[in-house]
Amino acid sequence: MKRNIRTVLALLVVLSLAAVVFVGCTPAKTATPSTPAAPPKMKFGMVTDIGGLGDKSFNDAAYSGLLKAQKDLGVDIKAISSKAMTDYDSNIAQLANAKFSAVVCVGFLMADAMSKAATAFPDVKFIGQDIFVADGSSPNMLGVQFKEQEAGYLAGVVAGMVTKDATFDPRVNADNVIGFVGGMPIPPVQRYEAGFIAGAKSVNPTVKIISLYAGSFEDQAKGKELALSAISQKADVVFAAAGQTGLGSIKACQEKKALFIGVDVDQFLAVPGTGDVMLTSAMKGMTVAIADSLKAVKDGTFKGGMSKVYGLKENGVELAPWHDFESKIPQTVKDAVGKAKAAIIDGSVVVPEDPTKA
Amino acid sequence: MSTPEEITAQRARWMTVAQKAGTPLMSVLLAMIVGSLIVLASGGDPVAAFSSLWEGAFGNAYQTGETIMRSTPLIFTGLAIAYGFRAGLFNIGAEGQLFMGGLAAAWLGIVLAGLPWFVILPVMLVLSAVAGALWAFIPALLKAKVGAHEVITTMMFSFIARYFVSYMLNGPLKAPGPGGTPGTIPISAVLPPQSTLPKFTDLFPWLPPNNAHVGFLVAIGVAVVVWLLLKYTTVGYEARAVGFNPFAAQTGGVSIALTTVWSLCISGSLAALAGASEVMGVHHRLSDQFSAGFGFTGIAVALLAKNHPIAVIPAALLFGGLAAGSGFMQLNANVPDKLVDIVQALVIFFVAAESIITWFIKRRQKEATRNA
Repeated sequence: MKRNIRTVLALLVVLSLAAVVFVGCTPAKTATPSTPAAPPKMKFGMVTDIGGLGDKSFNDAAYSGLLKAQKDLGVDIKAISSKAMTDYDSNIAQLANAKFSAVVCVGFLMADAMSKAATAFPDVKFIGQDIFVADGSSPNMLGVQFKEQEAGYLAGVVAGMVTKDATFDPRVNADNVIGFVGGMPIPPVQRYEAGFIAGAKSVNPTVKIISLYAGSFEDQAKGKELALSAISQKADVVFAAAGQTGLGSIKACQEKKALFIGVDVDQFLAVPGTGDVMLTSAMKGMTVAIADSLKAVKDGTFKGGMSKVYGLKENGVELAPWHDFESKIPQTVKDAVGKAKAAIIDGSVVVPEDPTKA
Repeated sequence: MSTPEEITAQRARWMTVAQKAGTPLMSVLLAMIVGSLIVLASGGDPVAAFSSLWEGAFGNAYQTGETIMRSTPLIFTGLAIAYGFRAGLFNIGAEGQLFMGGLAAAWLGIVLAGLPWFVILPVMLVLSAVAGALWAFIPALLKAKVGAHEVITTMMFSFIARYFVSYMLNGPLKAPGPGGTPGTIPISAVLPPQSTLPKFTDLFPWLPPNNAHVGFLVAIGVAVVVWLLLKYTTVGYEARAVGFNPFAAQTGGVSIALTTVWSLCISGSLAALAGASEVMGVHHRLSDQFSAGFGFTGIAVALLAKNHPIAVIPAALLFGGLAAGSGFMQLNANVPDKLVDIVQALVIFFVAAESIITWFIKRRQKEATRNA
C-alpha cells in the first residue's frame, strides 16, 4: 500500500522535474512585455472561421489585415479562433462585450451570427469578410466581398495554356486535363471554380476540367486524396481553393509530379518549400480591404449597411508573382494573362460566377 | 499490526474508492498542472490562463449557458460510448450515428410541421434515436454473425453517414435561396418553432440571456434512464455480463449475439440523440459542420466517467466548459486556443495512464499472492 503511493509520488516528482527542466530550457524572450499604461487604445478584434489561424490561406490573410491596422493605426488587436459553428455567436459576443470597437467576422458561414450580433451590439462595427450585406441592413455592419471569379479566370488562363505545352515542363502530359479542388461548395469557392473553368476554356477550348469538393476547409488528408484522384485522371495542373484542405493538395502534387496553383494569398511565400510545384496563386486582397475598413472605423468614416466588392479593377484580386517559375513560364502565357486582365478591367470579358454556366 | 488479510481487504477498498472518484479527479488536476507548465514554458501566465478559462466557462450566466449548451451533446455521446464499453463494445462510430440522428430530426421537423409541439417533440426525439439504432444495427449484426470488429465497421459507417448527410444537404434537403431561387449553401431549411427545443430563457423569461436549451434536461433524464437500465433490467444485466466475461455469460445462458446487437443499437440511439438535440436545440437546421467531433469527444467523456452513466454528466460538463472557456481565455490571457486541446489530451492521457498504473499494481498484487 505505502509502496504504491510512493511509486505514484515518485512518478509525479520525476514528471514535475522534467517539466521544470523543459521550462528552464525555454528562452525567456518569448514572454511579451506588458504594454505601458498609456491612454486606452482602440481595440479591433477578429473571429476566425473553423479552420482557425495558421491555415496559410484565408484566415491568416484576414489576420494580416488586423496586423496591418495594428502597425499603421496603433490599435490593439485580438483574434479568437472558432472550433465549431456554435462558437461564432459566443466568440463575437465576447469581443463585443470586451468593448472592442470593431469585430472582423471571417467567412461566409458566419453571416447569420454577424447580423444577429449587429442588432445586439449597435455600438460595435462589424466587418464581414466574404459576407454579403444587403443595402439598407444595419448601418454598423459592412460586407467585404471579392470577385474571386476574376482571380480564378487568370489562374484558369495559366492552367489552360500550361497543360497544352509539354515543352514547358516534364510534368506536363499530353492529355489536356486540369483539376480543381474546392473546400465547401459555397459561393466564394464556386466563384473561383467558375472563373477557373471559364479562363481555361478561353485559351484552350477542348481542355477537360475535373472539379472535386472536399466538404471541409480543414481536412488536409481529404485535400490530398482529391488531388491524387484528379492527377490519376491525368490532370497535370491542380488549382485548390480550399483553405487548410488545400495544403494536402500541394503535397499530392509534389508526390505525383503535378503542378499547383495556390489560393487567397501568395502561397509560395505562405507555405515554404512548395516552390517546385507552385506556378502562381490566385490572390484576393483581404489584407488591404480589411485594413482599409478598420482605418475607416478609426477615422470615424465607417459606412455600413452595404457590401463593398473588390475586383481586378479595384486591385482587390490579383495573380501572385511566378517566383521559381519566372524564367520558365513562356512569354505567350504571360501575354495571355496580361490580355485577360485588360479585357476584364475594360469590361469586354465578364467572368461568370456560377460554375455550371462557365 | 494488521493481519495480511486485513491489509489486502483494506487495499482493495482503497483501490475501489480511488478508482471510482479520486483518480479521475486526480487526472484532471494533473492535466491542469502539466498544462500550466506548458503555458509557462511558452511564455504565458498559467494563472491568468486558467482563471480566464474558468470565467469563460462559469463566470456569468451567459457563459454558463454556453457550457451547458456544449455539454449537452457530450452527455449523449458519452452515454453512448459508456454503454458500449459496459457491454464490451467500442462504438467508435458514434459520430456517424449522431449525424443520422441529426438528419432524421431535420427531416422530421419539416415533414411533421403543423402538429402541436407536445406531439412533435417526443416523436422527433424517439424516431431520431431509432434512426441511430438502425444505423448501428448493421455493424452490430456483422459483429454478432461473422465477428467483424465494431471498431472498423462503425468507423466506416460513420464516413458513410457523413457523406450521406452531405449528399442530402446538397440535394433533397438543401434550403432554397432568397425569393425561391435555388439554394447556394449546403444547409437545410430552418425548422418551424414547434419542432425546436426551447431555450431555458424561452420558458423562464426572468433568466438572464443565455443559449442553454432543454436538451440538457433531456440528457440528464436519459442518463438516469441508462443508469437504471444497466442496474435493474435484464437487458442491462446481460450487457454488463457479456462485457465482464462473455464466456461466463454464455455459460450462464446469455446470448452473446443478441446482447451485442441490443447493446450496440442502444449505444447508437444515444449517440443519435446528441445529433437530434443539436439540430433541435442549437442550430434549428442541419448543416454538415454541425458537430464539432462530439462523437469522438464522447470517448474521452466516457473514459473520464469510468463508464458510469451518472458520472458522464460532470465529465461532459468539464469538456463542455473547456470548449466554452476557450474563447475567453484567448481573449484575456494571450494564450492560444491550442491550450484547451492540450489540456483535453492530457486529461485523456492521465486517465489512461491511471489505468496502466492500476494494472501494474494489480499485477504485483497477484504476484504477491502467488508468492505468499
